[in-house]
Amino acid sequence: MRLAFLLNGEPFETDAPGGVLLLDLIRDCGLRGTREGCGVGVCGACTVLVDGDPVSSCIYLAGCAQGKEVWTVEGIARREPDLVEAFIEHEGLQCGACTPGQLVMAAALRARGKDPGEAATRDFLAGNLCRCTGYRSIVESVRAALGS
Amino acid sequence: MDPEFAVPASLDEAVRCLEHEGAVAVGGGTQVGLLLRQGLIEPSRLVWLGRVAGLREIRSDVDGSLLIGSGATLSEIAGSPVVRSAHPMVARAAAHVGNPRVRAVGTLGGHLVHADPRQDLPPCLLVLAAEVRLLGRKGTRDVPLRDFYRGPFETAVQDGELLIRVKIPASPEPTRCCYLRFTPGTSNDYPTVGVAALAEFDAGATRRAAVGLGGVAPRPLLVDLPQLAGRPLDATALAAAGQAAATACDPVSDQRGSAGYKRAMVRLWTERALRACRPLDG
Repeated sequence: MRLAFLLNGEPFETDAPGGVLLLDLIRDCGLRGTREGCGVGVCGACTVLVDGDPVSSCIYLAGCAQGKEVWTVEGIARREPDLVEAFIEHEGLQCGACTPGQLVMAAALRARGKDPGEAATRDFLAGNLCRCTGYRSIVESVRAALGS
Repeated sequence: MDPEFAVPASLDEAVRCLEHEGAVAVGGGTQVGLLLRQGLIEPSRLVWLGRVAGLREIRSDVDGSLLIGSGATLSEIAGSPVVRSAHPMVARAAAHVGNPRVRAVGTLGGHLVHADPRQDLPPCLLVLAAEVRLLGRKGTRDVPLRDFYRGPFETAVQDGELLIRVKIPASPEPTRCCYLRFTPGTSNDYPTVGVAALAEFDAGATRRAAVGLGGVAPRPLLVDLPQLAGRPLDATALAAAGQAAATACDPVSDQRGSAGYKRAMVRLWTERALRACRPLDG
């Protein structure tokens, strides 16, 4: 199929198999920040934004992104450098495997405009697994990025 | 073999697209993508419904029933003022399916047709006596949800048919509902046991009561509780309901608990869900 969408703000067009998953498509075009973790939509390491919504790109059919706007961690880091700074300042990472997904979720939460409070922040991030930090520093990083 | 990716813009076109050996309908793709990836399905054609006009509409009908288009996402259902006001249990259950990434794209139609017996909405929709509308080449037919599930991942949907909407009739006043999901692992996990309870009251006594059970049988179960009718929803009634639900379920042992444990949890969570339905002054 012929596939066209906005990738990190730039027009992107390619020929792809009809069953291709978004994760494979974006990694194959050199954007390796998006990671494959569990491969079943549970861990959140492969999170990207499609029209502002966070999705698990490992189980997201690329065809469903036709004509939409896709943002990966690379584009988000460029667009919102203060988000990355917040994670560095509050040590919201250790090994880094889950970090791209956490950053994308933080961007999705921030784009909603208002600060939802700590409990709702934790709830929103609950589907992004981290095996190192114990989450506290991640939540602090995201809270800082939300300006609270 | 690589499937073709079809993007119909109308229901007519979608039905035509599905008339193709090996065609599979795609709502948000969270289940189809997973099944494809794991090599469990080999469709010849993926028919993505995301561009079908009108399929995600949520509205109240003139008779007070709630109509939810099968293309509505779980997060749209969770956030819909219409659903929250008419059937808050459905909105709350939708808000707890999977994780935000699943809810953002997963649709009601996909959720129901996938027919994983552990899902959250079927128990709720069963106690609310919901029915689904199926559209095929020969027209539409309405199927009560209680007749919809045939077994694990098996439904009444036939080849070439499409689930287009769910209808939830208005509940008589006063009716109280509660869905509880027991997830001893992580909050995003499938429930070990999901219980949707419903109780209609008449002057302090129960008029009708039922529970819907998820995760504890090859398909979501509806357990009617006629033995509770005409009496107060007291401790004796709760115990009888727990007993009836534990008898009706048919769990298997897996990583979420042994069969015996799940049966014990069905009894406990049935009592808890029904107790939460008691009027505050009762």
